[in-house]
Amino acid sequence: MSEALRRPAEQFDTRSQQHEASLFGTWAFLATELMFFGPLFLAYIYGRFHEGHAFALGSQHTHLWLGSLNTAILLTSSLAMALSVRAAEAGERRALTRWLLVTALLGVVFLLVKGLEYREEWNEGLVPVLQFAYEGPDEAGVEFFFLLYFLMTGVHALHLAIGIALVLWLAVCAKRARFESLYSTPVEAVGLYWHFVDALWVFLYPLLYLLERYSA
Amino acid sequence: MSRVLTYVLTWIALLVLLALTLGSAFIPLGPWNGVVNLAIAAAKALLIAVMFMHLRRSSALLRLAPLIALYTLALLVGLSTTDYAVRHVFAAPWSSPR
Repeated sequence: MSEALRRPAEQFDTRSQQHEASLFGTWAFLATELMFFGPLFLAYIYGRFHEGHAFALGSQHTHLWLGSLNTAILLTSSLAMALSVRAAEAGERRALTRWLLVTALLGVVFLLVKGLEYREEWNEGLVPVLQFAYEGPDEAGVEFFFLLYFLMTGVHALHLAIGIALVLWLAVCAKRARFESLYSTPVEAVGLYWHFVDALWVFLYPLLYLLERYSA
Repeated sequence: MSRVLTYVLTWIALLVLLALTLGSAFIPLGPWNGVVNLAIAAAKALLIAVMFMHLRRSSALLRLAPLIALYTLALLVGLSTTDYAVRHVFAAPWSSPR
């Protein structure tokens, strides 16, 4: 690593101050992300209170086992990401590259399973506006549920796709030995983003998949 | 305890919580199903934030950032849902019947 990278950037006194500022900036960005997802949750709360029965009906049409499998995959990818950050801080370059690739791979598997689910829902006519064939009680409410389902999972999948691209970029950098124990801030910042996207899914999963399963 | 072991235990705890929330969905508890699901989701998110996102070892500044974000979101959602809950929409003579 060059001498320039060992020194803090001009506006910082120490490297630890620079590290802290980078992480604080990442957390501030995640705060804006939370504000971005907030209205979707608000719409969900509105729907759950005003169209409660229709939401339960809609939820029973989601694919419970695929959704549960995906939750497990995403939680495991977060473990791989945490191990990546540890390897970066310890300066273990090979382990870092390996764990980053595992993280990205699990992310890709999540998206593939999600795509499979979307295809099933298309075939079952559960896609609002484009392909909606659901008939029965509370038709409009069920369509509202699936509109939110596709919005929330779609925006989440977009975030995950960006996360996968970032993790692959980190893997390339790690392979070229850009990081060492003194400089692992980018890995930690992307890690925060990855865990945030995971934590978001942790809330989407019960809200979208688990409503009144016992009555199905 | 080594960091690797800590992370693996956290991951196991997360999977156990996932199994709990999945299992609870098949037990009829009425409105408590939602409460249990959200409580478990909050516990999982807390585990991720404290262990994986390192809030356990972070400075006060970094710990405050997510708290303020959640507080702001709670404030905005709280005010908006209050509005939806208590507002009466009076139909105008020309509006279509609902």
